Amino acid sequence: MKIIDSEIYSLPKDIDYKKEYLKFEAALPEGVILEKINKDKNEIALDYLIAKEFEEAKDQLTPLVEESYNTGVVFYLPKDVKVDQPIKIEFNMDDDNPVVINQNIIVADTASEATIIIDYTSSEGVEAFHQGITKIFAKDKAKINVIKIQRMDNKAKSSDTNIGFIKGQGQINWISVELGSAITVSHYSNYLEGEASGSNLSSIYLGDGNRKIDLEYSMIHKGPRSISNIETKGVLMDEAEKIFKGNLDFKKGARRSKGVEEEYVILLDPTVKADSIPALLCHEDDVEGEHAASAGQINESKLFYLMSRGLDERKAKKLIVEASFRPIIDKIPFEDYRQIVIDEVERRFMDDKN
Amino acid sequence: MKKTLLEIKDLKVNVEEKEIIKGLNLQIHEGEIHIIMGPNGSGKSTLAYTLMGHPKYEISDGEIIFEDELINDLRADERAKKGIFLSFQYPEEIPGVTVEEFLRTAKTSVTGKYQGIMAFKKLLKEKMEELEMDEEYATRYLNQGFSGGEKKKNEILQMSILDPKLAILDETDSGLDVDAIRIVAEGVKRVHDKDKSILVITHYNKLLDYLNPDYVHILLDGKIVKTGGMELAEEIDKRGYEHIRAKYSVH
Ligand SMILES: Nc1ncnc2c1ncn2[C@@H]1O[C@H](COP(=O)(O)OP(=O)(O)O)[C@@H](O)[C@H]1O
Ligand SMILES: [Mg+2]
Repeated sequence: MKIIDSEIYSLPKDIDYKKEYLKFEAALPEGVILEKINKDKNEIALDYLIAKEFEEAKDQLTPLVEESYNTGVVFYLPKDVKVDQPIKIEFNMDDDNPVVINQNIIVADTASEATIIIDYTSSEGVEAFHQGITKIFAKDKAKINVIKIQRMDNKAKSSDTNIGFIKGQGQINWISVELGSAITVSHYSNYLEGEASGSNLSSIYLGDGNRKIDLEYSMIHKGPRSISNIETKGVLMDEAEKIFKGNLDFKKGARRSKGVEEEYVILLDPTVKADSIPALLCHEDDVEGEHAASAGQINESKLFYLMSRGLDERKAKKLIVEASFRPIIDKIPFEDYRQIVIDEVERRFMDDKN
Repeated sequence: MKKTLLEIKDLKVNVEEKEIIKGLNLQIHEGEIHIIMGPNGSGKSTLAYTLMGHPKYEISDGEIIFEDELINDLRADERAKKGIFLSFQYPEEIPGVTVEEFLRTAKTSVTGKYQGIMAFKKLLKEKMEELEMDEEYATRYLNQGFSGGEKKKNEILQMSILDPKLAILDETDSGLDVDAIRIVAEGVKRVHDKDKSILVITHYNKLLDYLNPDYVHILLDGKIVKTGGMELAEEIDKRGYEHIRAKYSVH
């Protein structure tokens, strides 16, 4: 199933996004750089910081975004520095600012730690367009948590690429929440390059109306004893379509590494389409790759049990879906954002005829 | 004379094209306790599910009348709102939803009234104490990892909270130890004391000793073949269903 047409790849040119999107007021520890991205200024400094330590990862969308971005942040964490408060980035596209092409670069030096939340919304009825790339470089023992929440309007399009490079015992933890927009592309690639590098990717998605969702998650194990974990929970209703590709790739040298991939999707209507393509590539013998997937309707007995307690069919289904999302939502370390996600799931359910 | 709460007239029910309930009549007045006994496979759970409105159980003939209204075609949630409650023989596990959240949602749905968080907490705590349940259950996921007995107690907790007009208990006492049976019986009695009606499906007399029922019915092959008092339950207890079948079976 091919659900994304080529039109999304042609980026609008020279459109500014004039709203403030970096919402962080607290004082930062010394040496931390947190700036809006700027072609002339910070990019060069970053090139130097990233220099050679990380292998280049090529992605077809990267050059396009790299040339024409209008937003994004540069975030550098020096050695041993922990930023306790979350870095909040909020894009709210509207009639005057319908386009966000963002490039975010995060460099976490040895044993540094931070959490970044990026929230994408768009005004009702606006044909908003978001395309983004987020690159994270995590050195030994660094720990970076990124939470991305996409809840744009049904008229919007969203395409997001995320790449993580992890050294030594560094760790990148992603939480991806995809609840909106007409077309959603969400790609994550993590390169576990060091000994005992780690990455977790937890995601939920909701497809309603005619939404098309393209998810591709890759964990590329290069270092020995590296550990990755992918956990995805989804729900599809109406005429929504989803394709999920989960790749566990154990390169030469990834001895005794372990990757686990789980994908569960609830199909609420017979009119939805769901494809799941797991891939397990091993160039090394002594590795462990686990894959589990299931796609199915809500169990009739469970539904009846809930309805016998007075919940109408939609409420009962909503409860079961929310319950399946729950373990992922609970990983979002901020109550206000957990509530935002719960409310949006609720709104999506109440909006539709399901 | 007491008002009729539930009337079942010549009910026939098919499950997957097969007739299981084959012409059943039953009348329950307000405040009465009725017992249904019958061997495995005689159709007891089928009757319970049908009364609650399970879509898989198709009424091919007959009428179910609740408070003077024909409810054959009502959905389960609509019946719950009318005041019918079923304590399931096999309660479902719903991971990800806590007992407290679920019950608050259920209470809101059944009553149509918003349940304030604090007021509901208080109500729940009170009902849990009555049933000698540890407070900790409120925060556990609904039935997940509960023992058989804990699930049954949880059904009674739900019944106490939802406060139905008619509670149907499908083998709620099966698999319970004597203490748990006593606690369940007391829970049922508290509902009954408010002049609510109870329909108990059971195999054992232990629960009946506490409840002091008005009627005992014997269900065989989809029909009530005999109605009496406690003496019927004692006869079954002493002589078994085979004897009962030989004595009351109608062909
Ligand atoms: N969901 C179902 N699907 C198929 N057969 C069923 C179903 N429910 C009940 N039956 C059948 O109906 C008959 C009565 O079952 P049940 O009502 O569960 O009996 P009881 O509760 O008295 O033991 C049995 O033969 C059983 O196999
Ligand atoms: Mg049964």
